[in-house]
Amino acid sequence: MDASIKKIIARYPDEKSAIMPVMQHLQRENKNFLNEDAMEEAARVIGCSKSKVYGVATYYTMFNTQPVGKFHLQVDTCVPGFLHGADAIVAHLEKKLGIKSGETTKDGMFTLNRVQDLGSCATGPVIQVNDRYFENMTIAKTDALIEALKSGKEPENDPSMTVISKCGILLNDRTQKDCRTIAFYKKNGGYQSLKKALTMKPADIIEEVKEAGVRGRGGAGFPAGMKWSFLPKNDSRPVYLICNADEGEPGTFKDRQIMEFNPHLVIEGIAISAYAINSKKAFIYIRGEFNWIADILDAAIEEAKKDGQLANVDIVVHRGGGSYVCGDETAQIESLEGKRGNPRVKPPFPANSGLYGCPTVVNNVETLSSIPFIIQNGAAGYKKFGNTNNFGPKIFGVSGHVNKPGIFEYPMGTPLKEILEASGGVKGKLKGVIVGGLSVAILTAQEAENLILDFDSCVKAGTALGSGGIMVVNDTVSIPELALRTIEFYHHESCGQCVPCREGSLVIEHKLHDLVHGKGKMEDIDLILHLTANIKGLTLCPTGEAFAVPIQAMVSKFRPEFEALVKR
Amino acid sequence: MSKTIVINGKECAFDGNKTVLQIARDNGFYIPSLCYHPKLGPASKCRVCVVEVDGIRNLQTSCSLTATDGMIITTDSPRVLDAQRMVVNLLLANGNHNCMICERNGDCELQEAAYHLGIELPAFIVEEREDKDESGAFIVRDVNKCIQCGRCIEACNRLVVNEVLDFGFRGGHTQVVCDGNKPMGESTCVQCGECVQVCPVGALIEKKAIGKARSWEITKIRTTCPYCGVGCQQELHLKGDQIVRVKGVEGAKPNDGHLCVKGRYGYDFIYSKERLTTPLIKKNGKFEEATWDEALDLVADKFKQIIKESGPDAIACVSCARSTNEDSFYMQKLFRAAIGTNNIDHCART
Ligand code: SF4
Ligand code: SF4
Ligand code: SF4
Repeated sequence: MDASIKKIIARYPDEKSAIMPVMQHLQRENKNFLNEDAMEEAARVIGCSKSKVYGVATYYTMFNTQPVGKFHLQVDTCVPGFLHGADAIVAHLEKKLGIKSGETTKDGMFTLNRVQDLGSCATGPVIQVNDRYFENMTIAKTDALIEALKSGKEPENDPSMTVISKCGILLNDRTQKDCRTIAFYKKNGGYQSLKKALTMKPADIIEEVKEAGVRGRGGAGFPAGMKWSFLPKNDSRPVYLICNADEGEPGTFKDRQIMEFNPHLVIEGIAISAYAINSKKAFIYIRGEFNWIADILDAAIEEAKKDGQLANVDIVVHRGGGSYVCGDETAQIESLEGKRGNPRVKPPFPANSGLYGCPTVVNNVETLSSIPFIIQNGAAGYKKFGNTNNFGPKIFGVSGHVNKPGIFEYPMGTPLKEILEASGGVKGKLKGVIVGGLSVAILTAQEAENLILDFDSCVKAGTALGSGGIMVVNDTVSIPELALRTIEFYHHESCGQCVPCREGSLVIEHKLHDLVHGKGKMEDIDLILHLTANIKGLTLCPTGEAFAVPIQAMVSKFRPEFEALVKR
Repeated sequence: MSKTIVINGKECAFDGNKTVLQIARDNGFYIPSLCYHPKLGPASKCRVCVVEVDGIRNLQTSCSLTATDGMIITTDSPRVLDAQRMVVNLLLANGNHNCMICERNGDCELQEAAYHLGIELPAFIVEEREDKDESGAFIVRDVNKCIQCGRCIEACNRLVVNEVLDFGFRGGHTQVVCDGNKPMGESTCVQCGECVQVCPVGALIEKKAIGKARSWEITKIRTTCPYCGVGCQQELHLKGDQIVRVKGVEGAKPNDGHLCVKGRYGYDFIYSKERLTTPLIKKNGKFEEATWDEALDLVADKFKQIIKESGPDAIACVSCARSTNEDSFYMQKLFRAAIGTNNIDHCART
């Protein structure tokens, strides 16, 4: 066996977990193409059936089981991309390259694809070229990019956007060149919390985190300390900590801000948390598209190890393969075990039987990154930010129709108005706002008027804070088209396990497609509402609800727009 | 201690660890289910077996819901039926569920669910078609009828451990694949047919049965497989006196529904024209038909003659793998006690 494959396998307690990294390696070695031989090789070294490997390879979008061009251009046309004008970029590329999306140029140089959410919402339109992102694209920049690629030059990326940190806890000063280094981090007090934590009793750390009331920042808002305390006591099995860095909810691009520019913060958070729950092995499950960020994390972990910070825990960065559903904790566990990312039936819950059947905690990057502050400043310090039951700093991402889209670290409970002002105000006339990532109900301009951004206030307003990915929609946007984009995303991402989600999203997509293209009927509108009402709560994992809720809200709140599309 | 749950107002007593679906079935309540198979356990994927449980907000899948004492279940409320109808409608919306010409007509779990839920015509149709895979020697796969329940995959990987099948692709494109998405006939599949045995619909069917009989023309006869000493229990599906297909008997020892490729598909030999129907004795270099008495007398005479001339150890016996344990036992008894030799063997050992 090739030494690099051996090394990959050695990182995991169970070799099956190495299936994706091994395939990623083989694909990279083979001109970005995972052919039959490579899949057979993977089955051989991992020791599993060919159908298992094929099933995994075709589940995740980043494995190319068909050959692709030298440069694989993928344009994000999901909702934020759509709002930022990504369709025009695709149309331009199709014309310029003389191919349709999904095709490869005759000379084998370029393959063009529309893809779902790349997690670069404020910097859209974004084009992913092989492993790299090119953000804030315009037609002119696209031309320059293609020319550069053709002539073998290294193209430049422009990731600029507005970054404001009012709390100064999670985001650091990224304008500093050395902002990622351990030296910079330590100069600003880094790893002091870990030092302090190691003098505390694990139970006391859990108490402090519970007392701080930090609610999960992945979207569900479940109290982190409580999650930790569900772990069985006096259990002889190893405990695993998984840092969920799979942010894939359209509109969300917050965790990458921490990982890319302040990687030691999340590493320190993991080290403290692992100590608190007695975990000796932690994983960072990062979405595969963020490959360069995963490299940054790898390097930072090396630095921290050398500096003696990680004596108590081994952290493995695990790259996903392109799947939204793997953001769900049980799907993520399955994926980390080297399987298709199908969510598990609960119970059992991960706290009792998670990764490899062992007690497991899955926490979001932003959640874990707030732990060092809590240890250093106590629950009381943390509670200075936010309101009752909704404490702490929160990173909001604003994309869509604002003048200065970007990333904003504000206290929980900040009015939406203030965040919109910070992002330069709405471009044009506001029509609606989606405040918590694509899976929450859209609010009309009027409903959003006095919205307070915290978990409980959002629920009261008939929506959810979710991940805090705010998408602003002005009156140039057709809501039926927005709804179609929305369902396209979820239908594409559905794991396909359960019927209401797999087939329901398909039927809704067809009906919305018909409506948008003038072929719809009045009954279709009611059918969509009937389906969304029944799908809610009927699926195996929250994904069914994740599309039933927003589609239902768009159709019922903007029904006249849908009706106007029906030809009488 | 016996526990009780209430299903649609009826008290149902049960012992031990049981799911709501099992108790409902024990008590004669029909709850449609598609991905659940008793041999494979709950999968909770099709979501059609949902019921209402007092005190729980969302509908629950009864296949995976462990019953607790005092639970109050409703299986026939408008909310439950609405959800079940939607699920079945969604499955009918996509795929070629043309029952009229399907081999499983009258014996299909999807059709049965649609019938009980009163779905005459699918409420919405979104169709995509793909060719059937007819490359297997005995099995035809029709992906258009597949409902992605996963039973075949579980059976192939967990029960017979041939590890041929798995799901490939994702979401609406999810499909059962053989090896790296090969036609079944080119894959490592051994055509044991365990997947066919558990498929709830007409997505996996027996090639040899196609066009032979409608389900209501079939008489089912239980028998023991004649191929080897294991004694697998079979259910022959007959039309008149002709075998249309062979199924394994679920829940019966020793095979619990499993059969090997020979037992399941190798039944044509009974209709072979070359089949021997009387003993044959070679006379003047040619076989001639004889009666059993003639044949047995001849064998007995020869044995006696050999024993007389060369002793009993000049004779040996080899028992055939197709004989039952009991037959093999008699064989060795005959040779030890009557003939007087220990030269005893079995073809599976040689
Ligand atoms: S709801 Fe969708 S994503 Fe979740 S398990 Fe069902 S099919 Fe998979
Ligand atoms: S016939 Fe047997 S080996 Fe072939 S796919 Fe079905 S269960 Fe697997
Ligand atoms: S082929 Fe049959 S058993 Fe297999 S997934 Fe499809 S419907 Fe289920």
